[in-house]
Amino acid sequence: MNAIDLNDDAIVIIGSGAGGGTLAYELTKRGIPVVVLEAGGYLRNEDYVNDEWEAFNQMAWLDPRTTSGSWRIARDFPNLPAWIVKAVGGTTTHWSGATPRFKAHEFAARSTYGRVDGANLLDWPITLAEMEPYYDQAEIAMGSTHTHGRKPLPANNNYTVFANGAERVGYTHYSTGPYATNAEEYDGRPASIQDGFNFQGDKNRSKWSTLVREIPRAEATGLLDLRPDSHVVQITHDANGRADAVLYLDAEGNLHRQAASLVSVAANSIETPRLLLQSASPMFPDGLANSSGQVGRNYMRHTTGSVYARFDQPVNMYRGETMAGVIADESKHDPDRGFAGGYYLETISLGPAFLASFVEPGAWGRDFTEILDAYRNTAGLWIVGEDMPQESNRITLNTSVTDKNGLPVPNVHFDDHRNDVAMRDHGYTQAELLYDAVGSVGSHRTPPYPSTHNLGTSRMSEKPQDGVVDRWGRTHDVPNLFISDGSQFTTGAAANPTLTIVALAIRQAEYIADELKTGGI
Amino acid sequence: MVFPAKYPQLNETELTEEARSVLIRVIRVAFPHPNFPDAPYERTADTILAEAANSTWFRVAITQGLLTLAHLAGGDFRELNDDDATKVLRRIESTEFFGFVRRTTVLNLYDNEDVWEALGYEGPSFDKGGYINRGFDDLTWLPDARIEEPEGLEPLVEIATDVPLSNVRAAAPTSRQRDTSNQPGQRDAEMAEVKK
Repeated sequence: MNAIDLNDDAIVIIGSGAGGGTLAYELTKRGIPVVVLEAGGYLRNEDYVNDEWEAFNQMAWLDPRTTSGSWRIARDFPNLPAWIVKAVGGTTTHWSGATPRFKAHEFAARSTYGRVDGANLLDWPITLAEMEPYYDQAEIAMGSTHTHGRKPLPANNNYTVFANGAERVGYTHYSTGPYATNAEEYDGRPASIQDGFNFQGDKNRSKWSTLVREIPRAEATGLLDLRPDSHVVQITHDANGRADAVLYLDAEGNLHRQAASLVSVAANSIETPRLLLQSASPMFPDGLANSSGQVGRNYMRHTTGSVYARFDQPVNMYRGETMAGVIADESKHDPDRGFAGGYYLETISLGPAFLASFVEPGAWGRDFTEILDAYRNTAGLWIVGEDMPQESNRITLNTSVTDKNGLPVPNVHFDDHRNDVAMRDHGYTQAELLYDAVGSVGSHRTPPYPSTHNLGTSRMSEKPQDGVVDRWGRTHDVPNLFISDGSQFTTGAAANPTLTIVALAIRQAEYIADELKTGGI
Repeated sequence: MVFPAKYPQLNETELTEEARSVLIRVIRVAFPHPNFPDAPYERTADTILAEAANSTWFRVAITQGLLTLAHLAGGDFRELNDDDATKVLRRIESTEFFGFVRRTTVLNLYDNEDVWEALGYEGPSFDKGGYINRGFDDLTWLPDARIEEPEGLEPLVEIATDVPLSNVRAAAPTSRQRDTSNQPGQRDAEMAEVKK
């Protein structure tokens, strides 16, 4: 490993997930040394366990957080607003793998949907055409099935129910991907053995994550100084308003200062704005890079929900790749359905332990236990669609609750927009029709889980007054400060966000490398 | 363990064999699974009692909850039939006691192999080679489904064509016409020959 001195002005990347891990590899690949500060530990594939709660406790971000607003999470899981990972590789170690691209109009949500009451819609300052080459690179890096010659994954039992239902209700755009898990050996990693533990880290290394690809390759360049268990508490700046250092705590709680020439924040959409807000100073009284007041605002989590349907014959949904089943028919924008934007339907499965906790939080009695008694005969799907950005859905610092280091914890406030509710209800109904078409004998509408798709809290905008970063993810206010994760998303689109985060990071790395060469930073 | 010993009756109810068996009955009634043996319920009750032993607040809640159950049952809660016992639990479902029992049960009852076996879940699979050769695709009661979009499939119409768009950029991608339920497309608007 290339150890970079604390006093050297380094390129510092905060976070090692889809955004930070990709950026680190893309820069080191070009000969640029970087420091990566990762709040979590260095778990390897062999450390993962095939057990839902044990793996959750091993991987999840469990530092205290608080919640407010009318979303059910605030009642059911008040201290677990998000289900994301604190470890090297970030939430790419937990994600399941679906990789649809954004559609052209989803980069122009304000123009396409028009003015939506209560929504803070804005067009992205970039287009699909500009993103296409980077989508290609991201798909090749991640080995997305159904693209660039990658073989599709085979149908598992949950998919067979899902796809037959899709066919019978008249859907046509269904398949087992695109999905960033190997159907055959690719990129030095083996084919999936269909073990069903996608959310638990994937011991087999068939699923793409920055843990299995970008981090080891960055390490192999000899230019990566990866520091796990390094929790950043503040980004400081000089008299000219340029970021000049990052203060972080090590595992023992000792504070360190890493001097910086450039800082990239990729800490996921709750921690990224938290860090900017914690970095407030007399020059940036509302938080670093927050002259727009948009830091922490427009928090999006996708409109989600699940339907678990029971049949009179076995399904065994837990066997095989969890989310290798995607229906795109509803991902269009068709306001005749009663809402703007679209959604995907994707297969999902939980084991009995998680199903009991999440299928209907707070429920008990026979209505509840019959869901679990039918476990063997149950099929499941997930609704994932675009939610409306709202200024009032936001991350703030809760100064009355502190974490173990005495730092204010982030509070996550969320209310569903009317559009979100209408979309979710439509998705529930379509899912029930789909399962009815293949003979379901009962089904359950499961509310959204703690959020895995956290987006939008430092959004991209053409004009500095509308958002936090420009078309390259560079903050409007601080020239050497970048945002490299899903916080940049101007709007959420229907697609699972990881592919787009990776594509944006590849594009950003190219820009940063050019700017470094030409003195633009 | 420290008991709030000022009131001797609290000590009596605490963690006695009777308290344990009432608790087991509470869990059985609240989470009825005809196929579950007794062991998972006993194990869960023991987990609840162990947690209560570590928390004064839960211990007080359990003690009060068990007393309340006896009041509402008009005697021994264990002697009520399933329907009556369920009614009693409905009346206390918003209490701290029941919330504690419910949360702890949901987290623990279903997180064990004894229950997985009864439900038909096979647990850890990586060490057995996953399910690639052990039935990930053994469903036979439906036909095989295609896994790719077929050649020649019409591309998805990404924006319904009757949507007014505010600028050219958003309108760019598609030119195809499409019917929707309340906004018929072009071909429906064509006049047909009228015959008497």
